[in-house]
Formats: sequence, C-alpha cells, structure tokens
Amino acid sequence: MARAVTTQRKAINTLIAWIVGLLIFFPILWIFILSFHSEGDAIKSPLEVITSTWTFESYATVQERSNYFRHFWNSVVISVGSTVLGLIIAVPSAWAMAFVPGKRTKDVLMWMLSTKMLPPVGVLLPIYLICQNLGLLDTRIALVFILMMINLPIIIWMLYTYFREIPGEILEAARMDGASLREEVIYVLLPMAVPGIASTLLLNIILAWNEAFWTLTLTAAKAAPLTAFIASYSSPEGLFYAKLSAASIMAIAPILIMGWFSQKQLVRGLTFGAVK
Amino acid sequence: MAKWFESHLPKIVLAPSFIAVLIFVYGFIGWTAWVSLTRSRLLPKYEIEGFIQYERLFDSPRWDTAITNLYIFGGLYIGISMVLGLILAILLDQNIRTEGAIRTIYLYPMALSMIVTGTAWKWILNPGLGVQNMVQGWGFENFTFDWLVNPDRAIYAIILAAIWQSSGFVMALFLAGLRSVDTEIIRAAQVDGIPTWRVYTAIIIPSMAPIFLSAFIVLAHLAIKSFDLVIALTGGGPGYATDLPATYMYAMAFSRGDIGQAASSAMIMMLVVFAIIVPYLYSELRVTKHD
Repeated sequence: MARAVTTQRKAINTLIAWIVGLLIFFPILWIFILSFHSEGDAIKSPLEVITSTWTFESYATVQERSNYFRHFWNSVVISVGSTVLGLIIAVPSAWAMAFVPGKRTKDVLMWMLSTKMLPPVGVLLPIYLICQNLGLLDTRIALVFILMMINLPIIIWMLYTYFREIPGEILEAARMDGASLREEVIYVLLPMAVPGIASTLLLNIILAWNEAFWTLTLTAAKAAPLTAFIASYSSPEGLFYAKLSAASIMAIAPILIMGWFSQKQLVRGLTFGAVK
Repeated sequence: MAKWFESHLPKIVLAPSFIAVLIFVYGFIGWTAWVSLTRSRLLPKYEIEGFIQYERLFDSPRWDTAITNLYIFGGLYIGISMVLGLILAILLDQNIRTEGAIRTIYLYPMALSMIVTGTAWKWILNPGLGVQNMVQGWGFENFTFDWLVNPDRAIYAIILAAIWQSSGFVMALFLAGLRSVDTEIIRAAQVDGIPTWRVYTAIIIPSMAPIFLSAFIVLAHLAIKSFDLVIALTGGGPGYATDLPATYMYAMAFSRGDIGQAASSAMIMMLVVFAIIVPYLYSELRVTKHD
C-alpha cells in the first residue's frame, strides 16, 4: 500500500529504516572490522578494537597457513559447475512446462518444488555410501553433481516463473512466419529468456556457494569449499577471531558485491519469485 | 518421425528432470526407510528387524533434547521472525526513500551462509568479548549475558542468530503481500477517516492470510532442516545442549558410526516435514484447479 505521506514523515521513516538496516548489517560489518586487526587486538573491547592498528596480517596468515585460494577455487568450481549443469537440464524442462503445459504440469512442478523442502538428511546416507564406493568422497565432481540435483527443483521453478512472463503470442507469430522449432528457440525465445536465466544463475550460485550440509559431510581437506574450510577453522571456543574473520570476509565479499549490483535479481531469487 | 519427435518433445525434455528427482529423492528416501528398520551399525545391513531403531531413538535422552530444542527453536523462530518481518514490511511500505537499497541490506543475512556470519555472532555472544563484556565495561559489573556457553540458554543464542538471518526475508515476502492489497479499498477507508493502524489490522493484514501461511511453511521447513546455524555457533554443545534433529543425525552418521540411528532419526524428520507440506500442497493444488 504505497500511500501519500508528508515529506517530514517520509524523512523520519527513511531514517528509522536506515537505522534498522545498520543494526542488521552490524554483524557483517563487525567481521570486516575484526579481519583487519591482529589476533591480540581482536579480543579487546569493541572500542579498543576499532582504535587499535589496522593491518592486513590476518589475511596474509590465512593464505600462508591454509592455502586459502585453493578453497576459494573449490567454491567457484562447485557453485558455477553445479549451476551451469543444472541450467542445461532445467532450461528445456522449464520451457516445456511454460509453453506446452499439460494437464498435470502444475502438479509436477509443485511436486518437484516440494522435494526441495524435504530435509537432506533423508538422502545423506545412500549418497555418502555411493560416493564412498565410487571413490568420490572429497572430490569436486561429486559435489558439482549432488548440488546440481539438490537445487534442480529451484532452478526449474525459477525458470518457469520467468518463462511464463514471455508472451506466447510472439512465439505463435514466429511460427506463423514459418520459423522452425530450432529457429523459434534460438532467435525468439532465448533473447527474451536471457534475463530470467541470468537471475536463476545468480540465485543458484549463491545457494551453492552457501551450501554447508553437503560440503561438510562429503569433503575433507582436498575438495573443501569455503564453507567447509571455515567450519573446520572455527572451534566452538572460537579462538582465532581475526583469522576467522579474514577468511569469512573473502567468502562473503563476492556475494555482497554481486548482490548489490543485481539487487532486483537477489530479492526475487531469495524469495523464490514472490517479490518482483 | 520428425513430426512425432516435435509433438513429444515437451515430454522428452521434461523426462530427465522428472526421473532424476524421482530416483534421487524418493529412491534414496526409500533406502533410508529400509535401513531404519534393520540392525545397521557401522555398515548398512538389509535384513528387516522391525522398529528397534525407533525404540532406541525414543529411549535416547540426546534425541529427546534435540526434539525439545526443535520445539523451542521452531516456536520462537517462526513466531518472532514473522512479527519482526511484518513490522519491517509495514515500515518499508511507508513510501520511504532508497527502498531498493534498504531492502537489499535487510536481505543480506539470508544471502550469506550462517557458517560465515556465525563468526560475528560468536564474537558478539562470547561473554568475555561481546555484549556482556561491553556492558560490564560501562560499570554494570553484575550484568551477565552468557547464553552461548550456558547449557540452559545456548539454544536461545542460536534462535537469536536465526531470527537475525530470516527477518529480512520474511519482510520481503510480507512487503510483496502489502503491495498486492487492493488500493481502492484502502483509499475508501482513508476517505472515511479510519485511522491508519485500523486500516492495517482490519483490512490489510487479514487479506494477507495466504502469505502468512506461505511464510509459515517456509520458516517451518527451514527450522526442521536447521543445521549450519548450530554447527557454526555451538557445534551442538555445550555437551549436546543445542542439538537439533539434523545435527543429531549428523553426529550419529559420522562421529558415532551408528547408521541405524541416523536413518531412523532422518525418517522422523521426513515424516514431520511431510506432515507440514502435504496438506499445504494439497490445498494449493485444489485452489489452482478451481481457477
């Protein structure tokens, strides 16, 4: 309900909204601040932390001790790989459901989406044992495949909601003009579908990037992406706050930046298409 | 041949996704269900023995803690996230400036992995460093805020971080709902001089009922699946005070080497999620069929 309000009220509301925003953003900001201090300074009181010397030493130590970039690269390969693979399978499926809907299309879609709500623990044991038998534990290829499967329903759903917004009349017009199915897909459908595919890509990279359950259970030192690496770095007592923060910042910075420059896609993706 | 191919193409391209989901989800759940009825320990066995694993599960004090925690966690997390989400949505609906940027900031916690943002929460909730230390430093020597390390309170520390993560997300859902309310009715109410808060409580919020239901379903399934939050903040500790069903299952499968217990606890979680989403999906599908 966008209502007319006085300028003054508007300014006050905006201010309140920003103060709340700052509160919400504070933990993220605090990781950033901690990461630029030495281990000794990071366990002082908040004011002392801010006023003590700012340094890059935590970043340097993390890289030196644990080959941070290897885990970063694992995260990139796993999230991009699983997303691209998922899109290859999902684009034709979503296209079929959006443009040639059958009687049961809606049911199939809801059914697929419902599987995403099931707890992953239900399929963990067989997947773990299969990976073990095939020698795929702690490999990137296993995670690429598994995360693709886990997120496939979301990918199909997102693409479907975007494809549905493409007017079918345009496709019909192309068909009337004698375009073959192949031409129809390449010259008419794809150019209009690109924004939707891009948003889906972004959302899925984020989901796969953040994935912790599967990465923690199926990887060890070799194929561990950032989430698994950071979880292994942190003990319940949390002894290395500065280094942990440095590792954490490098893990969240790509998403903060990507999210900022594609705000619409981020909001729509995270709400599964509910917010346009 | 080509004609047949074109007319069946939609089904052909849909088949891989359909079959993949069928095997990957239901086939594997079936396997878990089967194993939960055996005497499997370190290795899976396949002779069905009945419900012994479930009997062991319900006798286990640790599982009892996990379930109690799930009730506390689920109730407070869903309730408070929805209330805060609604308040934030109404705030953002007041025609404010820079709404896009604010919305994105509110959603950031949801876009980031809790494993990572848990770093900050551990610092803030650590009695020797964060809130407790700071307030004591202001001269309130008796102030204590030791939730994270106190076995009776640790679950509430986790709930706090969980609410932080989800409130913005619920806000986005509710904001979409507020925007979809018919503006004509609202204008009519305003012309009649009905105060704004009454417009919200009597007209806008009741008409958003379906969104409340969706938000509830999403939060409920997130609560049952909660895993990384606990791993990031407490690892299930102190002791097993903050175990949730998912971490119980994880501990059984990987540190206890008890596949039977892992499978039976996974099946219980499955049943709970089914109990929530099946009625929901059923009602959704029925509604769309009537259209």
